[in-house]
Amino acid sequence: MDFAGKRFWFYLISLAVIIPGIIFLIIAPGLKTGIDFTGGSTMNLSLSEPMTQSTLRKELNNLGYSEATIQRLDDNSFFIRTKELNEDKKNAIVNGIQNNFPQQIIEVLSFDLVSPIVANETVINAFWAVLAASFFVFIYILWAFRSVPHTIRYSFAAITALLHDTIIILGIFAILGKLMDIEVNTFFLFAIVTVIGYSINDTIVIFDRLRENINLYPNDNFSKIVNTSIRESLGRSLNTSITLLITLTALLLFGGSTIQTFLLVLLFGVIVGTYSSIGVASQILVSWEENDIKKLFSKKNITR
Amino acid sequence: MRRHYKQLIIIGIIIILSGLTLGFQKIKIGNFERGGNTILGLSLGLELQGGSHLVYQAINADSKEPFIPTEGSLEMDSLKKSIERRIASAGLGEPIIQIIGDNRLLIQMPGVADPDRAKSIIGETAQLVFKHRKLDVARQIEGLSDNSAINIYASEELNNDTGVTTSGTDQKLGAIYAELSSEDAEIFSNLISRMSDEFYAEYSGQKTFLENPSTIEVSIEGNSSLKYRVFAIQITRKENTNEFLFPLPPNPANESNYDVESANNIIGENGKIFFTEIVGALDEDIGLTGDDLATSYAGTHANSGQPIVNLIFKERGTQIFGELTQQIAGSPTDQIAIFLDETELISPVVESPIVSGTSIIQGRDFTLEQVKDISLLLESGRLPLPIELLKERNVDAILGADSLEKSLIAGIIGLCLVILFMFLYYRVPGLIAGIALIIYTSIVLSILKLFPGNLTTLNLSGVAALILSIGMAVDANILIFERMKEELSQGRTVLSSINIGFNRAWPAIRDGNVSTLITCAVLFWFSQQLGETVLQGFAVTLAIGVVISMFSAILVSCTFLRILANSSFGKKSILYIPTK
Repeated sequence: MDFAGKRFWFYLISLAVIIPGIIFLIIAPGLKTGIDFTGGSTMNLSLSEPMTQSTLRKELNNLGYSEATIQRLDDNSFFIRTKELNEDKKNAIVNGIQNNFPQQIIEVLSFDLVSPIVANETVINAFWAVLAASFFVFIYILWAFRSVPHTIRYSFAAITALLHDTIIILGIFAILGKLMDIEVNTFFLFAIVTVIGYSINDTIVIFDRLRENINLYPNDNFSKIVNTSIRESLGRSLNTSITLLITLTALLLFGGSTIQTFLLVLLFGVIVGTYSSIGVASQILVSWEENDIKKLFSKKNITR
Repeated sequence: MRRHYKQLIIIGIIIILSGLTLGFQKIKIGNFERGGNTILGLSLGLELQGGSHLVYQAINADSKEPFIPTEGSLEMDSLKKSIERRIASAGLGEPIIQIIGDNRLLIQMPGVADPDRAKSIIGETAQLVFKHRKLDVARQIEGLSDNSAINIYASEELNNDTGVTTSGTDQKLGAIYAELSSEDAEIFSNLISRMSDEFYAEYSGQKTFLENPSTIEVSIEGNSSLKYRVFAIQITRKENTNEFLFPLPPNPANESNYDVESANNIIGENGKIFFTEIVGALDEDIGLTGDDLATSYAGTHANSGQPIVNLIFKERGTQIFGELTQQIAGSPTDQIAIFLDETELISPVVESPIVSGTSIIQGRDFTLEQVKDISLLLESGRLPLPIELLKERNVDAILGADSLEKSLIAGIIGLCLVILFMFLYYRVPGLIAGIALIIYTSIVLSILKLFPGNLTTLNLSGVAALILSIGMAVDANILIFERMKEELSQGRTVLSSINIGFNRAWPAIRDGNVSTLITCAVLFWFSQQLGETVLQGFAVTLAIGVVISMFSAILVSCTFLRILANSSFGKKSILYIPTK
């Protein structure tokens, strides 16, 4: 299979996902930040009869508070964090639960505004930390791939793939936020960092095969070597991502509802990370070798 | 088989160790204590485990009324930060702290074993203050006229109510009588009653002797002069007069007290008497507080073995402390008094100047636990506002116990499916990878459990790191198997395919893992600089997972595979070639 020859198709697919994502990220509100970042309201709800946590979670979900975190204080009382509520909305929640459980006597013991759990600084700090880490990975690839010509291209391509994956995930969640009201919380932050780790590892495995084959067939055309390398490592790429996808899907389908956003990021991350090693990182190397950018401009010049 | 004895023994020992580590919920060997009342005794974050739910009210230091913040003030934020630091350095787990309304704090901590210690660490104001204590400071008595006595004379001491024992001598003891103007008499009377009160207050504090009692210096200028000090309780006012009675000190001439005659000789015709208040100990603020500390840590005294708190000052503190100690070094009448939350801890004299910016504090009855907590409180800085506990409850995990149980089962289903997939695809090696994966997971979990500090607390970020590292461990196996497969299909023997496959896969495994380790190191260093403990935990957990995954791929999977290849299974390459 000629992967390198189809590189423009890969780029097109990536752009087709990235561009809508970026549009959704730019138009307000971009990513929908959850109550971990924005703060909101808390209430201490006391019931006359025991209720399970999952029942209450379902009730709040139906009332449109899917972001609510619910902690049981004891059998009859719960500590609930929601987005900021006014008195009317609070009463609407209480009445909503009351309608479905007419025998319950529901009491709101406390109702307050609270500050965010995670300061905005944390997100900014995490961003800088990841940026610094990317820089050092860039340097490491320079060293690890010093035996192949144009090493800097490998560093550059790996970091581009990493950026590509991050932007796609952010974009997907901006879109999901608009369409399905999915909010990003602290979990999202860690899931993104995890995806970045996966992306780098996956790219390096493909590059390793390239490194080996370049030294093995020094006279071959670069595109051909890329194709061979991708083909040879395809089994590994698919199997590794399949094992991860099996686990994540099992967790998504049978696991609790409270970590679904988290798992969704990881799930998308595995797919995008595997794809980008083949479709982005490797193809950037081919484009560089083939001087694609120059050709693009010279073609334009000719048509003029 | 024989060739792999060493590896097998190492693997066996590690499996047994990690089995023991996880098998016992609580581990205690000497001072080393790990584990708790959770699944496998792992330390879990608030997402996965319930804990304490505490609500605090910020109050004003003086009025004890609820604190009312002004618009845009940052006191509550810095209060939150101080408490965060304290909880982190006390190893009480990753808390959730939120400001409720204007002036309350919600603190949730995962599974606190000792709630009282937790509360004391959160709530202590921990204000450390250093003061310059001057001993025996002469002070003019305020309001008293300079030449206050209208008349003085010596007479026999009244025996009944002077407060001084005349202990069995037949000699008639002399005493000084001084008559003051009515204004001065009031002032003087107030002074001695205040000083007496202080004297008794200190005396009743179950002390066998008074450390630095205040006195009044009496100075008589007549034919000759006499200067001596008396306690306020030794002075009496003659009823309904303005006359005060002062006992006389021992006469150095005959080693007994002055009698009336010799006292009168001193006073003479125009004797004068002066009074000066001698303050026993005067504490002077020098502007040196816990805020000037760079670090503090617990230790024991080199000589006495007593638990102490070691202090290291910041630049400003070093300067102030250095200047003061230089000024008072060697002086027996100067001390440095150290107070924690207004309780005096110790007041040493300074033998030689301390310009290095270090100091220790000792308490009369410190325990090792106490000095640890004190140094921790000092290091985390004092609370900008005092707080009061309003509410204390237990709270369930954020992710919900029901949801977590489901996820745990789902995770196990996922793991079984992965092993099944690996077996179907890679046959025997796949099965071995599955076993290696279980061994791998238990090793990682036991290291997380044994790791000092609370960075490896398993919260959701830890779970994310764990999933990634398990993924990388599986990846390492798959990389080896794929290479093996290639070699097998070229007609090599099983054993040489294993060896070559491993050697070929190794650079990819190494580079992938090393770049992840680099990421972990940078994340750790960065988040440590910025104080983001959650990111730090993520980095540490991932790094542990990655290192162990390399170990498991090299040692566990490969050893098992080689053993199998050497046995009769090794001949049947069908067991190693995946279904097409």
